[in-house]
Amino acid sequence: MPQDERKEGIGGMANPSRYGIERVAYLLMRLSGLGLLAYFIGHIYETSNILRGQVGWDDFMELISGTEGHIIMSIVIAMCVFHTVNGVRVMLGHGGVGVGKPARPDYPYDPASQNYRHKIGIYSAIVLAAVAMMYGLAVMFGE
Amino acid sequence: MRESTIMKIHYGTALAAVALVAVHILMRLTMGYAESLEYENVLANYKFVPYAIMLELILILLAVHGFNGLRVILIELKQGPTYEKAVSYGCLAGMVGLIAYGSRTIIMTNMGMV
Repeated sequence: MPQDERKEGIGGMANPSRYGIERVAYLLMRLSGLGLLAYFIGHIYETSNILRGQVGWDDFMELISGTEGHIIMSIVIAMCVFHTVNGVRVMLGHGGVGVGKPARPDYPYDPASQNYRHKIGIYSAIVLAAVAMMYGLAVMFGE
Repeated sequence: MRESTIMKIHYGTALAAVALVAVHILMRLTMGYAESLEYENVLANYKFVPYAIMLELILILLAVHGFNGLRVILIELKQGPTYEKAVSYGCLAGMVGLIAYGSRTIIMTNMGMV
């Protein structure tokens, strides 16, 4: 196959069937991090509206309290929970927790660090993010 | 600064931020979500000094963690001495700017300059 045909770009890189759930977690960690940084900057701007007094604050609250605002907030909750849980997993992995014992590399050369413990951690992060998102939606739309 | 030291700061700020942000979110749930965001309640939160100190700490922790994370992502994408220096100083400037802007809100509201 010519080299050009093997260039699949970001789609190829993100393909979970080829590189496993670890690659998905890597991408989601970065995407959620960038999303949360964007939200954080927006949140700092949003809260500065309190300096405009009650009228300025109420105007801004009206703007973000609609359906779109609640949906964006629920996505932020999901990103926050995934980033936190997966971040704890990554920290533990960097500290050597749950990465297996060093051993001679034998066929089929399965990486010891990509074991079921860390896979469970990644799936747990995704499930917890979904649950937190649902809870957030229930709280915001329940009022 | 050594990258290993920066990563320790990255993880330390993350763990501290998780604990403080949890308190910040729980404050929204002490009463109804919409009620907690009413002007008087938000103003009262800012005027309560321990809470204002906690907001300032969250601001610093998340700005350091967020902009260092952005720096790591940008350096993963492309490398080179000039590029890396530009990214590092750019992220540092963003971090300082955000902390300054957020601190302005916290200090002015806490001191009743609204």
